[in-house]
Amino acid sequence: MANKIRGRGVIAGVALGRIRLAGQNIDGYLAKYQPEAVEVEVEKASDALIAVAEAMRERIVRLQEQKMMAQAAIIEAQRLMVQDPMMAENIAGKVAEIGNAPEGVMEAAESQARVFEDMQDDYFSARATDLRDVGKRIAKYILGVKEPEIGSGKVILCGQEVEPSVIAEIPTEKIAGVLLGSGSTTCHAVIIAKARAIPTIAGLGDKIDGIRNGDYVIMDGGRGDILVRPSQQEIDDYLARMRRQVELASRYQALRELPAKTKDGHRVNIMANIGTHMDVDTAIKTYGAEGVGLFRSEFLFMGHKDIPDEEEQFRAYRGAVEKCQGRPCIIRTMDIGGDKPLPYLHVPPENNPFLGWRAVRISLQRRDIFMPQLKAILRAGLYGDVSIMVPMIINVEELQQVRDMVEEAKVELAHEGQAYYDTVPIGVMVETPAAAIMSPILAKYADFFSIGTNDLIQYTLAVDRTNATISSLYDPFHPAVLRLVKNTIQSARDNDIWVGMCGEMASDPYAAILLVAMGIDEVSMSAPWIPRVKEMIRSVTLHDAKDALARVMKMEDGHVIRKYLRKRFPGNNL
Amino acid sequence: MTNQTVTVINNTGIHARPAALLVKEASKYQSKIQLKTAAKTADAKSILMLMGLGANKGTEVTICADGPDETEAVAALVNLFQSKFGEQN
Repeated sequence: MANKIRGRGVIAGVALGRIRLAGQNIDGYLAKYQPEAVEVEVEKASDALIAVAEAMRERIVRLQEQKMMAQAAIIEAQRLMVQDPMMAENIAGKVAEIGNAPEGVMEAAESQARVFEDMQDDYFSARATDLRDVGKRIAKYILGVKEPEIGSGKVILCGQEVEPSVIAEIPTEKIAGVLLGSGSTTCHAVIIAKARAIPTIAGLGDKIDGIRNGDYVIMDGGRGDILVRPSQQEIDDYLARMRRQVELASRYQALRELPAKTKDGHRVNIMANIGTHMDVDTAIKTYGAEGVGLFRSEFLFMGHKDIPDEEEQFRAYRGAVEKCQGRPCIIRTMDIGGDKPLPYLHVPPENNPFLGWRAVRISLQRRDIFMPQLKAILRAGLYGDVSIMVPMIINVEELQQVRDMVEEAKVELAHEGQAYYDTVPIGVMVETPAAAIMSPILAKYADFFSIGTNDLIQYTLAVDRTNATISSLYDPFHPAVLRLVKNTIQSARDNDIWVGMCGEMASDPYAAILLVAMGIDEVSMSAPWIPRVKEMIRSVTLHDAKDALARVMKMEDGHVIRKYLRKRFPGNNL
Repeated sequence: MTNQTVTVINNTGIHARPAALLVKEASKYQSKIQLKTAAKTADAKSILMLMGLGANKGTEVTICADGPDETEAVAALVNLFQSKFGEQN
């Protein structure tokens, strides 16, 4: 049996190959290095700068000839770092100080890398890797270290950080995949891998130590799974899965630009649920999302010791909004409670955290948390089509209080001289039975609805969705759930407001048929599910869907409904 | 001495690629050229210092050149900023 490890899938695709450990340790060489007189060391360093810059220049020409412009640009930036007057000065100073050329070079690069790391910006902190890469390359030149040859066959590059120069140097057809210990997805190694569509898994941390040079490995860049030293059976299974994936990918690729429109021309919007601004590009470009139906702002609040400030939140929201390029971006205000304790929330232990002090209930009592968030969203509103969605609403009063606080946030921004967008729509995330039942009233006060089924189902059916023993009772097709969803959509229709769904239920193609028939405007889901839902919507007529809905609403049991839909809409072996 | 203030209008700010373009352009001129933001000053011929400015979209940058070809140098760099460094949007 293979050794199975898991990281974060960054670039999808299944790959097989032998491991080639990159970013090799040069400590051994450094230890053996015998420095000469200080002046000689300084000269060695400055000669190395010229030689390495020249080698890079030659590689840039080769890359340009092969039309690999993005990689050429990355190496060009590195070449300029090697030739940088400040870098030359720092290196000369450091080498003179410690009397050791390779170590002086690496230390000078390291201290410059730290400057970038301290810049509090993902992009610039990732550039630190480039600088360390540059430092190592120069040191290797002085030490006379040669990069190991790649044999025949494909390799999977593996290292804590794989240096961009190492990836750029190997021809695309030789690299099957990339495994990274570090978690950065904006590092140049990942950018190059993305440009070449090389399956990549990051964030492996120490787990990477279990992988040896020359190991045969199967990796799934979509799921983040890695099989080290697999059996023949496992290899065969994976090959079969790979073939299916290729077929599916080309089918989905063809769907990307097409609208989610029924055969008789009824159109709904199909959008993506995201956790960070970094998810937006893939959602739009790979899966054809028409916007962001749910930006879960929680991720900004997690992993923090303190409340994330307005500036930090503004940068994150603006990043996502700009990447949407005018498409809608619905930002949900903080949806956290006792089930995900955060140090600065001070939520005391609760018997029923899902029924406790959470989401808007916290926001309304904790101005120090809610105000910066509202202000950040209002400011981000200047950069695109932004809406605010409020979770866990159970009555009109809460929604009115939120509206009051939004007005206060605007006054504060105006006083501070900050620009903001004045008419950001404020909608209700319908995820409590109370909100669904009261939707005819709430619709008079909300600018839009988005149905959050994950909680709506658990509250309606009184089924804890985290309890595996009763997971079979958690059923989106339970008639009670369908009735609440249908009522909510109808209330929105009656009051001429927009209504969408951002819960997992929307990613079920059979549920999507019913939602379209109910008159939903939009469905939003994890991006990879978009193509199959779109495919289903495009395969039915609104007339047929409405007929199916009418029959389904008369049925008494979720299992019967599901079975009926599978039988009636069989076309999509999903 | 020639000065001109410009605003960073490309989406990504002065990151590696725009900085590389600036260095290459600046290196064509003999003049000493500096880029200044409210907080920092960078030698326009040093990619590391330019990136160290941390200039994002919207940042105001003053280009200062001093030397025999200072006017041409400033004009050329202003042009790069205005062309958004060749970025699409």
